[in-house]
This record gives sequence, C-alpha cells and structure tokens, in this order.
Amino acid sequence: MDKLASLLHTTPAIVWMVGKVVVVFLSVFLLASVWTWVERRGSAMIQDRIGPNRALLFGRWPILGLSQLLADGIKFFFKEDLVPEAANKGLFWLAPFLAFVPALMGFAVIPVGKSFICDGVTYHLSVLDPGNGMGLLYPLAIGGLAVYGVLLAAWSSNNKWSILGGMRASATMVSYEIGISMAVVAVFMVSGGYDPAEVIKAQGHLPWTWYVARQPLGFLVFFTCMFAETNRLPFDFAEGESEIVAGFNTEYGSMKFSLLALAEYSHLMTASALVATLYFGGWQVPFMADPPVLLSVASFLVKMLFFAWVFVWVRWTLPRFRYDQLMHLGWKILLPLSMANLVFHAWRMSQGH
Amino acid sequence: MGVIVKKVELTWLDRTYVWPVLQGMSITFGHFIRNLFTPTAKRYTVQYPDMKREIPAGYRGLHELKRFEDGAIKCVACFMCQEACPARCISIEAEEFSDLNLSQGFQEKRPAKFSIDMLRCIYCGMCEEACPKDAIWLRKEYEVAAYDRLSMQFGKWNLMNTYAEADGKEQLTQDPTPSVPRRTIAM
Repeated sequence: MDKLASLLHTTPAIVWMVGKVVVVFLSVFLLASVWTWVERRGSAMIQDRIGPNRALLFGRWPILGLSQLLADGIKFFFKEDLVPEAANKGLFWLAPFLAFVPALMGFAVIPVGKSFICDGVTYHLSVLDPGNGMGLLYPLAIGGLAVYGVLLAAWSSNNKWSILGGMRASATMVSYEIGISMAVVAVFMVSGGYDPAEVIKAQGHLPWTWYVARQPLGFLVFFTCMFAETNRLPFDFAEGESEIVAGFNTEYGSMKFSLLALAEYSHLMTASALVATLYFGGWQVPFMADPPVLLSVASFLVKMLFFAWVFVWVRWTLPRFRYDQLMHLGWKILLPLSMANLVFHAWRMSQGH
Repeated sequence: MGVIVKKVELTWLDRTYVWPVLQGMSITFGHFIRNLFTPTAKRYTVQYPDMKREIPAGYRGLHELKRFEDGAIKCVACFMCQEACPARCISIEAEEFSDLNLSQGFQEKRPAKFSIDMLRCIYCGMCEEACPKDAIWLRKEYEVAAYDRLSMQFGKWNLMNTYAEADGKEQLTQDPTPSVPRRTIAM
C-alpha cells in the first residue's frame, strides 16, 4: 500500500480511504442491481413461475438469467430520455440523484468487518472511522433525506398520480421514522453509545446477547418500519398500479427510472445492513470471540444479504395495506410499541441490569 | 330481513399480526424451496418455443383438406362449408373432371380453387361440421403466422399439404385427373 501511495503521490491513509469508498459503494451499487435479479427470480420461485431466464450472455450462456441485468442496463441507457413538457425540468433531473445518493450514503458508517491492525496502523472497515461523532444517527438522518428524492420526483413530474404517490410516500416515511428512532434509542441506551462500533461491541459474539434477543419488540418495530422507510411492499405507497398508475415515477423513463429503481434497492441494502448492525451483532461471528477479519466480513455479508432477502420474501408474501391501515399501524401501534420498548428498557436499566 | 354475516373470530395470536405473517412467510418459503430444487423443465411453466403443450383431442387448429389414397381431393365442392362459415373466410370455385374413378365414389365435381383467409378464420370448426364428405379437418397445428397478409391466404394446395409432412405423405401440387372445360348445355 505504501508503494501504491508513493506511485500516486499521496499518503497511504488517502489510498486506503479512497479504496474503501470505491469498494464499499461499488459493491453496494452492484448488490443493489443484482438484487433486482434476486427479486425477479425469487418472486418467480415463490409464485411457481420461472422468471427471467431468456437473456443470454454473448448469445450463448444463460447463467440463470443474470445477464438480464446487463440487457436491462443497456436498454435503459439507450432508451429515449423523455422529460414531460410541463415538468419542472431541473428538479425532474435532480430527483433520481436525490433519491439514489442518500440511499447509498447511509452505508458510510456501517462497519463491514472487524477493525484490524497492520504494521502498527489500525484499519477500520467502514468508510467513516468510528469516533466520527455521528455514528448511527447519520444513516437515520440520511435515510430521512430519501423522502426528498421521492417527493421531488413526484412534484416535479407535474402529474396528479405522481403527486398523490409522492405525498402518500412522504407521509409514510415521515411517520414511520418516529417509530424507527424510538426503537433505535433503546438500542443506543442499552449499548451506551451511538457509534456502530460500540453498538456491535456491546452485543458480543453470543447470539442470545444480540439485541434481537434482548429487545425483540424493538427489532420487530424497527424492521417493520424499515419496510415503510424503504417504500417496499406491504407499505409501498409511493407506487400502486391499481390506484395511482406507477405513483411517483409515472413520468420517469430510461436511465432516470432505472436510477429510481436502483435507489430503492440501495435503500434496501442500507436498511438490511442497519438491521444486521443494530440487532444482529454486525460483523460478530456467533460463538467466536475474536474472529479473523475475512470471516467477520463474511458474517456481516451473510446477515445483510439474509435481511435483504427477507425484504424480498415479505414483499411476495403479504398483500398491500390500505393507506388508513398503514397510518393506523404506524401511529397507533408501532409508535406506542416502540415507546413501550424504550420505557421498559429504561426501567430495566434503572433497576441495574 | 337482513342476512347475518358471521365474522371469523380472530384469536389473540392472529391479532398480534406477527404470527399470521410468519405463517404466510413459511408458505411462500415452501414454494420457494420446492421450486429451487425442481429443474426448470419440470415446473408448471411451459417454456413455449422450447417446450410445447400436448394438444388435447378435439383441438381445432389449422385446416387440412383430406385426400384419397391416390391423391385426389375428397372435397366435392358442395359449398356447405362456405355457407356454414360465420367468418366468411372460405371461397370455393368448382370444376368438373372427366374420368369417373371408382375409388373416388363416382365424384365428378371438385374445387378448382379452395382458399381460406387465415386472417379471418376464427377456428370455430363449423366447416368441419358442415362437410358431408369429411373432407376438411381442423387439426392440431396452431402456429399459423406469416410476415405479410398475402401469405395468410391459404389456397387449395396449401390446405391439402398442411399436414403432409407431419403424416409422412407426399406434397401434392396437382390433381391426379385433369379437369374438363366447363360444358355449356344448350337449352
């Protein structure tokens, strides 16, 4: 690494930093696009169908339809990029990026593996080193920004269906964020800090000391709210073919639509990484107090991808909610539950547990 | 008097909403696993160009004009099918032919032209029902497509050869017996 740094006329720290940023964001981006394939194939299997399997790589290898991704990407790039005449052009262009960037940015603080020491230098496997003062508040705050992407996309399209979808989605996201915060506060309280490294360390390596076992109610609330936060079924109120055409992305086509779709999947990845970090011990390997670095990365990836799969799985299991049911669930059930969870754990801490 | 609708009483377990969700998820996961370990060819989906459904008996597909063993057309140009056709897609021109042939049952009338507009045909099978000689059959071929409208006009020889390959019969291009010029009867 020193050699590489001197070749590039920079310091090793910068090379490491840039390397981390590129690797982490690229892999999240790639995972998000692969997850569109997982979603399609998984849903097909759940519904006794086959799913995309006709696209061939170089016209020869089917590789389980994975080349559909390439085909879709190429297709989206070369499609005509229409902007409606009455749309607010600037915001119409900006919205997909505003939806996509926060979804990726949330990943920055999440440690993908154990920190390790090499030649006396500590390397942290998260884009932002621990002790940056933002901790897990950052992905939550950035996640809140995702509302802007959806709402701007909806509003700038100058389309009634879009507006309806965007308003519903933003109302959902805003109201479910409160449930999320309440649930997460209980985690911060018990672990004594909001830095992901501290949260992970406080959970230990034994599965029954992970917060999912210690705060099952908090996990349930957090995970349910994450569905609303990522705008996925059963809470996908930004869209809704039967009611408001395609919702907030009705007017979007070509690569802009693709970006909005990718934003959803990146958000899904970030959300599942958050669930893994907060409630399933992050990179901790079960029954292994001091795991090797690669194993810890693998453990984190397995957890994250499992939850990403659960997002897909639930989507194809549950029917959609009605809007009033959604608001009822969010305000009258999940919020009180997360508050009860918070109060219960505060009480337990006051009793000296 | 109103109808009393009995509502299903939910148990407390159902009302938590978590347990029913888990039940549903176990069902979908069962489907997922079952399909994951089933080869693609054995699932419900028939992947059309590669796999084809077995066509049931009585299916009404592309028509065939039946022939005798010597290759003469069975049709006697009685126009019953043309009359019966609700889509008006059959048009026939009759002709006479000279040699009375015992194997053909003493027919002396046959279609000079027999065309079906496949773009109009609705495959209802009325022509098959109407035919007194069993000369037109609707069989199992269903891939009837072409690049232009003209090639969807099936003529007599097209219709006689539609299933020749499938049945291992030779392609016909002409009648075994020549036709005679139309006689005009002086009244």
